[in-house]
Amino acid sequence: MSTTDPIVTTEPAARGAVTEAPLRHARYDVVIVGAGLAGCATARALALADRFARRRVLVVDRYRDVHPRFSGELIHPRGAQILDDLGLFSALHGVGGIEVGGFAVFEHADAPFVDLSYADVPRERPRGLSIHHKELVRTLRRELRATPRGSAEGIELLEGWAVADLLRHGDRIRGVVLEGKGGQRASVHADLVIAADGKGSTVRKLAGISDEGRETIGFTAGVELRGASLPRPGYAHVFLGAWGPVLAYPILRQADGTIRTRVTFDLPRELPVKGPALKQHLLRSYVPFVPAPLSAEIAAAVMAHRGPLEMAPTVNLPAPSAAMPGLVLVGDAAGCSHPITASGMTMGLRDAETLGLQAKRRADAPDGEPWLDAESLRRYRAEHDRYVPTRQALADAIYEAFRGGEDGSRAIRRALFDYWGSGGTARRRSMALLSCSERRPHVFLTEYIKTARHALETSLVPQHASMYPVGDRVRRARGAAKLARNKLGLVAAVMWAQVRPAWLTRIESR
Amino acid sequence: MFDRPQAAASSSVDDGPSRVHIGGPPLRAGLERALAGAVAWRERARASKTTDAWLLHVPDVGPTCEVLLADRLFHDLRPAERDGLLAFVRGSQADSGAWLDAHGEPDLSLTTLGWWVLRDAGDDPRSEPMLRAQRVVHQLGGAQRANFSVRLWLAMGGQIPWTWLPAIPSELFLLPPHVLLSPSRFSPWARGMLTPYFVIARAPARLQLPDATALLLPHNDGQPMAPRLTRPGLAGDLLQAFDRTVKLARKLPRGPLPRLATRRALAFIDEHQQGHGGWFSVRPTLLSLVALRVMGATSSDARLRRGLDHLRRGRGRARIPQGRGAGEVALAQGIAGPSLDVHGRLLACGPTEPELAWLLRQELTLRGPWQARADAATGGFPFESGATHHLDVDGTCTVLHTLASLPEVAGPTPGFTTAIWATSRRALDVLLAMQEPDGRFSRFERGESDVLMQQLPWTDADLLAHGRTDDDEHVRTSARVLATLSAAGFRIDDDRMARGLRWLEHTLGPRMHEHVTTGRLSTVAALAEALGPLTPTSHPLRRELEQRLRVRQHEDGGFGPIVDTAHALQAMLALGLHDVQTQRAAAWLATRAMRDRDGELASWSQPVDRGLGLSPAGFDPSAGPRETAIALQAYLATKP
Repeated sequence: MSTTDPIVTTEPAARGAVTEAPLRHARYDVVIVGAGLAGCATARALALADRFARRRVLVVDRYRDVHPRFSGELIHPRGAQILDDLGLFSALHGVGGIEVGGFAVFEHADAPFVDLSYADVPRERPRGLSIHHKELVRTLRRELRATPRGSAEGIELLEGWAVADLLRHGDRIRGVVLEGKGGQRASVHADLVIAADGKGSTVRKLAGISDEGRETIGFTAGVELRGASLPRPGYAHVFLGAWGPVLAYPILRQADGTIRTRVTFDLPRELPVKGPALKQHLLRSYVPFVPAPLSAEIAAAVMAHRGPLEMAPTVNLPAPSAAMPGLVLVGDAAGCSHPITASGMTMGLRDAETLGLQAKRRADAPDGEPWLDAESLRRYRAEHDRYVPTRQALADAIYEAFRGGEDGSRAIRRALFDYWGSGGTARRRSMALLSCSERRPHVFLTEYIKTARHALETSLVPQHASMYPVGDRVRRARGAAKLARNKLGLVAAVMWAQVRPAWLTRIESR
Repeated sequence: MFDRPQAAASSSVDDGPSRVHIGGPPLRAGLERALAGAVAWRERARASKTTDAWLLHVPDVGPTCEVLLADRLFHDLRPAERDGLLAFVRGSQADSGAWLDAHGEPDLSLTTLGWWVLRDAGDDPRSEPMLRAQRVVHQLGGAQRANFSVRLWLAMGGQIPWTWLPAIPSELFLLPPHVLLSPSRFSPWARGMLTPYFVIARAPARLQLPDATALLLPHNDGQPMAPRLTRPGLAGDLLQAFDRTVKLARKLPRGPLPRLATRRALAFIDEHQQGHGGWFSVRPTLLSLVALRVMGATSSDARLRRGLDHLRRGRGRARIPQGRGAGEVALAQGIAGPSLDVHGRLLACGPTEPELAWLLRQELTLRGPWQARADAATGGFPFESGATHHLDVDGTCTVLHTLASLPEVAGPTPGFTTAIWATSRRALDVLLAMQEPDGRFSRFERGESDVLMQQLPWTDADLLAHGRTDDDEHVRTSARVLATLSAAGFRIDDDRMARGLRWLEHTLGPRMHEHVTTGRLSTVAALAEALGPLTPTSHPLRRELEQRLRVRQHEDGGFGPIVDTAHALQAMLALGLHDVQTQRAAAWLATRAMRDRDGELASWSQPVDRGLGLSPAGFDPSAGPRETAIALQAYLATKP
């Protein structure tokens, strides 16, 4: 809505550096840290909620252009709908974003794929959206700048500034201290700080929110292909069989009609090789598990790639408290899991939507009161705590099963494919859960029980052997039962998250 | 891969009269020489005519003798073939009159067969070599104490009664395959032998063979001593009584059971004839053909023709490894068709695309008996080329290793590469499915070493299973599978890999001396290739393996024969060692490769246990140049 031309002098920085920042105000209603998908969408949702055009929103990001590391690129229909509601979908589609119809999941390269289609999920859009992350962020920032001037002050976007500290008043967070590239600092006061700065959130750390349970699962390496021969065009693909899953999905339609496809490889935390040898490792240990001719195209792309491959850590961060006085966490900053279910961006969008709803509810709050008061934050957190555990539980379970590192998880994987092969209803219900469209607890419980039952059945009945030893059958079944038992706590947590009364949610201060 | 830039010579090793510069031209020249030797062996093994092709695994005279004996029934050998085979038998006789096993020890069974075959060929039994052989047989206990296979031939030739062989109750063949006593629970080799034996014994067959009673050790009354079929002890006595009862019961009317059992055994023989015409290997093939013949198949029967053609393809030229004619070239019968294990390793020394295409065509595409207890789709590779039914985990590992080295070696076309990947995927699944609950990997079939009837005190009980569960072959096979899987990206965080490693630790821990200090270096190399990528350098088993390996190095840098040194160098490299001991081993190898003037590298041949069933050890004439080339290639590729 507005650019950041004016230079505003703010409070002196603690270290006595030059204290000026390209800001128009020293005080804002909301400061959003992070101008990625979650940050931009939240800013947009807040702007649309400000129907009396009274609010000032500042969006800050440490990078002038986009984050150099590749990140999420697939948005489920639920997220695509939110983008549409925010008026962002057409812009993203216009710059080359591709509507994806669902997932094609390969148990192994020689098997027919399981078609998990979005169109089968009732009451949802039939397609999601996939877009190159850098293009996504550039477009969103551009849209942010061009947001219709709903408010007098509108949204300010400040790029190239990082959060160095938080301003506090008692237990309440009152703003942020920004630091520019040259070391200059600026204090910005705000009624609410929204941390949308990703899984390694600086704000979260500065606020003292514990990262307890944070675990680096491994790494994701990615390459880009042009005009790849995807077995199911217009779908995201999951190939199993290698150490970790290989994902392939279209990310951009270029002006000449060529489709760019992202291929990611899930690597272990202790990389077996580093540097240039990593390419050879991918060629030997991952690419062969992808069906032809896509495998040959991936191999050519890996070989042709110059310089180090793009890599990002995969992190499991059990959802921390998403709100505290004066602070809200959204997107990956509010908890993240393995990207296998591609639900991270959709969750970020749901956070934006939820905050937008609360902001709309408080649009007419009198001057002198925070736009998003404690009750708004409590409601946000109550809602956030309902959908995030489901996503994390599913991502955790699916990743473990798809990895197939032990008897039990392989049995669950086999059971999943067996279950999906049993009919359209099974696929539809699973897809509704995976795409964040389904949140009814009984559906989650039913799916869990059905998968566990299939796991026991498939463990006892071999696929190929006519005289499979009883000992092996028992071992597999025992492994599946053990895994199912271990997940009971998770299932209970998800169920509780869905049925827990909203009034139980409190906003704790640190 | 072979034209890497030469590294600067950083050190040198004094090796007698010549000084070898590490990483310099002598190493490279040694590699080129070894590669040329390996390629030459590939071409020798590929010759189109049987009489021109060379065997890559030269067994003892057993299979050759049995083919000569069986020809009394089939009349299939051409005069040149017969003469060539007889030359091999004659040349292999030691001065003592005995025929030796691959480790140089006089062997009762081989000597019995050798004597009998020469007697059949018209040699005078009163000639000195024949008399010496007869004396050896008597010294070793008489022909009645020969192994099961020889006693079977003696029985078929009418030289000993059938009661001197263990009885197989007909009912066994009528048992469902999952029952523990069913023949389907025997190892594939044992099944391939005992099923036709059951049919032949039921006939019973009689071949027109010369008198061999002179080989039987007699009692004082002149009657030959009957062999004991069971081990001493109460259990053995009871079993002996049971054996007599079964044989007695055969004389009683038993309704349709024997007929049904014979029919089922014949159906088994029919079903298990492989695409190349043979059965599991040469001995089961010979017996199956005899069984078909005695059950009425004529010489024009397609099954017989295909089987005999397969036997013919399994023959080849061989340099007689030991005996009076050592070094001479003769025609020998291989223990099986051309081995994919050896071919695969030869192809690792610089394959061409047609050769790789041939290798890919050897993949198993038909459902086989190994899939009864291994839950995997069809895939993997057999022991011998052209086989369609039986999986060989060893051969599969070799082929996967060869295919995995391709992007660097051959750079095949993309379509070809995807075919290789598809084959590799299937083979990896097969390997994983061959893991036993305790973590080891079986070679031919799961449960091949866990045969219940092997526990009974038969003297021939070892026939029924494929070795012991913790023997050298299972250690080597398990290590090779773990190494192959780890090269394909499987890591120790996979429970199957962890289980395999635990089994190795558990099995090797108390027996390091047997397997590593005095064991074969090929096994040590396989262990190193498994432990290298799967364990940290501080892992106790890995450290002990390394220490014991280092101790085996001689002062001159070698580890004994050239093949052993090549395996030792491979092991050191797999363990990540690039120190002076490794450099000296590489220099020693290169020097030896350059010194060798004989293209056939007879001195490089080593006895190897790469066979099937009885007396499996043989000589691998291509091992020297092949393993040297592989070791030096790896050394030059990984040299810091």
